[in-house]
Amino acid sequence: MASGCLARVVSSDVRHNFLIHYLAAAAVLLMTPVIFGLAELDRSMAALPLETMPPLMGLILLTPLLSPEQNEGILDTVRSKKMSRQLVTGLRVLCSLAVLAILIAALGGYMKYNSCDVTLGMCAGAFAGAAALGALGFFSSAVTDNVIVGYMVSVMYFFMNLFLKNKLGRFCLMSMSCNIKGSKPVLAAAALVLIAAAMLFRRIFRNEQ
Amino acid sequence: MLFRLECKKIVRSAAFLIYCVISVLFIATNYYSDCKGGVYFGEGTKIVEDHELIMYGALNSLMGEYAANKYVCYPFGYYKAVHLKEKDQQKIAGYLREMTGTDEKEFEELLSTGEKYYVGMSDKPVYGFHDVRMTEGFSYDRFLEIMTDTDDMLGGGSDYAPDSLLALYSGVDMTDEELKEEYRAFIEDDKVTGGLARLFCDYVGIDLAILPVFVAAWLTSADRKRRMHELVYTRKISSAKLVFTRYAALVFTMFIPVVLEMIVALIQAVVEYNGESLDMTAMFTLPTFWLLPNLLFTTAAGVLITEVFSAPAAIFAQVVIWFKATITASRMLSGKIGRFDLVCRHNSPTDRSAFLMNHDNFIFSRIFWTVISLVLVVLAVYAYDAKRGGRFNGIRLFGKGGLLRRKA
Repeated sequence: MASGCLARVVSSDVRHNFLIHYLAAAAVLLMTPVIFGLAELDRSMAALPLETMPPLMGLILLTPLLSPEQNEGILDTVRSKKMSRQLVTGLRVLCSLAVLAILIAALGGYMKYNSCDVTLGMCAGAFAGAAALGALGFFSSAVTDNVIVGYMVSVMYFFMNLFLKNKLGRFCLMSMSCNIKGSKPVLAAAALVLIAAAMLFRRIFRNEQ
Repeated sequence: MLFRLECKKIVRSAAFLIYCVISVLFIATNYYSDCKGGVYFGEGTKIVEDHELIMYGALNSLMGEYAANKYVCYPFGYYKAVHLKEKDQQKIAGYLREMTGTDEKEFEELLSTGEKYYVGMSDKPVYGFHDVRMTEGFSYDRFLEIMTDTDDMLGGGSDYAPDSLLALYSGVDMTDEELKEEYRAFIEDDKVTGGLARLFCDYVGIDLAILPVFVAAWLTSADRKRRMHELVYTRKISSAKLVFTRYAALVFTMFIPVVLEMIVALIQAVVEYNGESLDMTAMFTLPTFWLLPNLLFTTAAGVLITEVFSAPAAIFAQVVIWFKATITASRMLSGKIGRFDLVCRHNSPTDRSAFLMNHDNFIFSRIFWTVISLVLVVLAVYAYDAKRGGRFNGIRLFGKGGLLRRKA
């Protein structure tokens, strides 16, 4: 009964609020072969598309997760419901991460099929970077209650990576192409911490249950 | 009164605060750190536009890429290997025969002289040619025609685009005398701050082509988000006055951090070049003329697209414009300014003569984007007025009245 209810919530939420974001993330995936050459790349060249496009998908999928309730009208309705808002947010995060994993696996699989030197570890690294950037946007949006600020922080952090690269050290999203060691576990941990911190902030300061 | 209220609202917003933080971070990690310790004049390269040098370099490169049928391009600023179809390969072969003055048999022999090697784990060879010569007296105009056609066949962004030819094949190391002359021009003609101001504008121009859109999108969508829009619609004030006042407030407040950065840049220049005769106004006049159109356009586009579509649509559109204007733009980061460049690049405190050569294009581009910005704001006034009168409710994909909303 409870699982059936949750499934309905997820399905309804995805259809009404997040389908366009999933489609936009898929569009980024489809744009990748247009922007990059994805055939016969050695490891360092293959890292470039894997570290450039997935963070954009992460940004699109995770940043706007709290945006429906930022509309005052919807918030009033949601407040009157018995269902835990934190549970709904958690489900949204999981759905977005699952979609992100599928898209990155598709990109990695396509590159492997085209004789690129891509490994599972590189795909996992790409996922960590994408999740970290998305989590940064999610956290900023949660703290400021403003999805535009979420986009602003994550988009600008992405652009800073394009220009600063090595100067960002272990927080560089393009660490495989810049040859920075030990960055991906840091990014994965940062993603988890940011998502947990955003949920905790909402629970304590926004009284979300 | 309204202007002051709007300024106050913007300055107190999280979006503006983050705009300031990112803007300062960006300039500190790029410009301030680059200029610390003064400008280095120990070595440098210059573009000589030597036709023989360009033709020689491009011909050898094209020979190698033709032999491997693997042409390296950067159509969107990123590596892309293009493999041509047989028909196009034949056309390139024809061009190569024309440039080397060989018949089919001689050309095959010439092709076999290439140095064959392998890169990475690829089992497909690449070829290097180093001493293939152009046929005697080959015209540079015909060479440019061939290169332009080759670049078109490759889909753009190749080493054979006119800009790339200059940047890749005609750069030579500067002599000591030339370096001394560069230094003299920097100290005496530019009076230090003129050159530094160009580098400052190069960096700040990049972030002013994207950052303001977030603040503009936030302010424009704020009324709707707070459910204040209907209340504002009923006020006496005209749509033109309201939209233009908000626009002016956005531009004014977002230019304040830029002015503060100019002041810090000037102080840094005074400290680094203590004793030199500095132009104390150059760090304010040139950046204002260079950067204000970037700010005007990005803000105007943000206001208009948010008004017509939504805030995420404005952000998305500006990201695409920014990407096109910076990452996929010319490979020459200095010495080349186009008439329609939103982001004018001159990533060097020196190279004054190259900047002056493009001065007309520079002036044109600044005026062009200022006019475009004002046109966009006028359109935003029309959109706002139509919404206010109930004739238009914005264009949306989903949600109430959305284009893709499923009917019950």
